[in-house]
Amino acid sequence: MGEEKKDFEPKIVGFTCNWCTYAGADLAGTSRKKYPPNIRIVRMMCTARLDPMFVMRALLNGADGVFIGGCHPGECHYIKGNFYSRRRVAAMRTILKQFGMDNRVQLHWISASEGDRFASTMKQLAATIKELGPNPMRNEIL
Amino acid sequence: MKGTELTYGDLTGFFQGLLEKKVVDALIMPFRAGNNIAYMLVRDKTKIVAPESVIFAPSFGVNAANIVKGWLIDEKVGVVAKPCETRAAVELFKLKQLSEKSVLLITVDCAGAYPNEIYAAHAAEIGNQLDSAKLKELAGKGIPIRDACAICENRLADVGDIAIARTSGEKVIVAGVTAMGEEALKAAGFTLEEKDLERKAEKEKILAEARANLEKLPRIESQAALEAFLRDCIVCKNCRDVCPVCYCKECFFDQPIGDPIAGDLLNLAEARGAIEVPANQLLYHLTRVYHVGTTCVACGACEDACPKGIPLTRFYPVVTKKVQELFEYVPGKDRAEPLPFTTYEEEELEECLR
Repeated sequence: MGEEKKDFEPKIVGFTCNWCTYAGADLAGTSRKKYPPNIRIVRMMCTARLDPMFVMRALLNGADGVFIGGCHPGECHYIKGNFYSRRRVAAMRTILKQFGMDNRVQLHWISASEGDRFASTMKQLAATIKELGPNPMRNEIL
Repeated sequence: MKGTELTYGDLTGFFQGLLEKKVVDALIMPFRAGNNIAYMLVRDKTKIVAPESVIFAPSFGVNAANIVKGWLIDEKVGVVAKPCETRAAVELFKLKQLSEKSVLLITVDCAGAYPNEIYAAHAAEIGNQLDSAKLKELAGKGIPIRDACAICENRLADVGDIAIARTSGEKVIVAGVTAMGEEALKAAGFTLEEKDLERKAEKEKILAEARANLEKLPRIESQAALEAFLRDCIVCKNCRDVCPVCYCKECFFDQPIGDPIAGDLLNLAEARGAIEVPANQLLYHLTRVYHVGTTCVACGACEDACPKGIPLTRFYPVVTKKVQELFEYVPGKDRAEPLPFTTYEEEELEECLR
């Protein structure tokens, strides 16, 4: 961990649902909300498309954090995709928790109209990951 | 539970009767080959010799559920196996990898087991079955049971279709656990009476022992410790191949992204400066432990199969137990209970997401 925490700019991979958080991020942008530029967004049609392996892969390839954004429970475009996703993410974080890696993965519910919420979530997430420091696997041979 | 009491001598007739009366078309059961205990698939009843000397033998080679995985044909097979193997088979029913109608699960009491090669080497000392006194005595001599067995909480036969429970003396109680099991016993010509196989006190004792042993197992508590633990892994994927509940026909780790070669490998090394090869050992185990998260029956077959001797029981059963606790799910226990990832509650788990 050579980098100082204050200079450290985390890389966050974001997996966002096309019908809500992606549009929410878009709204944050068009309404000129300021938020830290640490996230790289991957758009999916639903959070249920997220194979937990994507998250593991992002972390093992040096992402400092992973953000997953989906529709509020009960508001899924495909009726129940986010309910399944919630179970999967909870299971995945339970596994990662045992190795102290769970705080780097977060799931948030952000609707298409919540540009503000997207911006504030990004601020909070970037701060959390900054506090955690660089992913120790970033520079390792694995 | 309805069942009947049999002597050890009656067991040959019992198993032969299942074939003879066409209750099943074939049986998968342990047999003795020299000092070794292995499984056989039997069609001819005369091949069943002295089953009482093998069905309780504390030797673990493969998980029998892995043998019948994909048994989706009409011919019915009876599987005589330990509780962990039966529980894996029940998970396979739920995963649609095994036909419920074509399998008759016959579960025997288990007191713990040794890896088959250890059993074969010490067969004379260990004998045909194990009890807690003998288990302690052998552990004192430096022959401990498998870690997976030491932490096993469900060693008594109470799952499957038929349970074969040991009682005092050379006697067993054979009882139907499900309606199918009861029918099978009736068809085999037994008159059944009410038997109490609850064995609550014994179960509580096993549970307490298992939990104490789990506490003693070395922990992998950090990402660095996990890397160190898996350092010797050569990604041979034996642990996947012997796992009874790992079943994808096209495993991600047999495909180019999961199992990169040549240019793909070079790209990874370019991105990171250097990568350990064979690549993806951490990704492989972390993904696999998620895949078996709710269904791992903690049989320990992965540890036995590891050519590098990595004590995988400290990883798979321990990690998956937390996932199972999250969903309050005990794999293999209840056939009617859906797999946690196939269902949901509208309000749940919000505290586990961020």
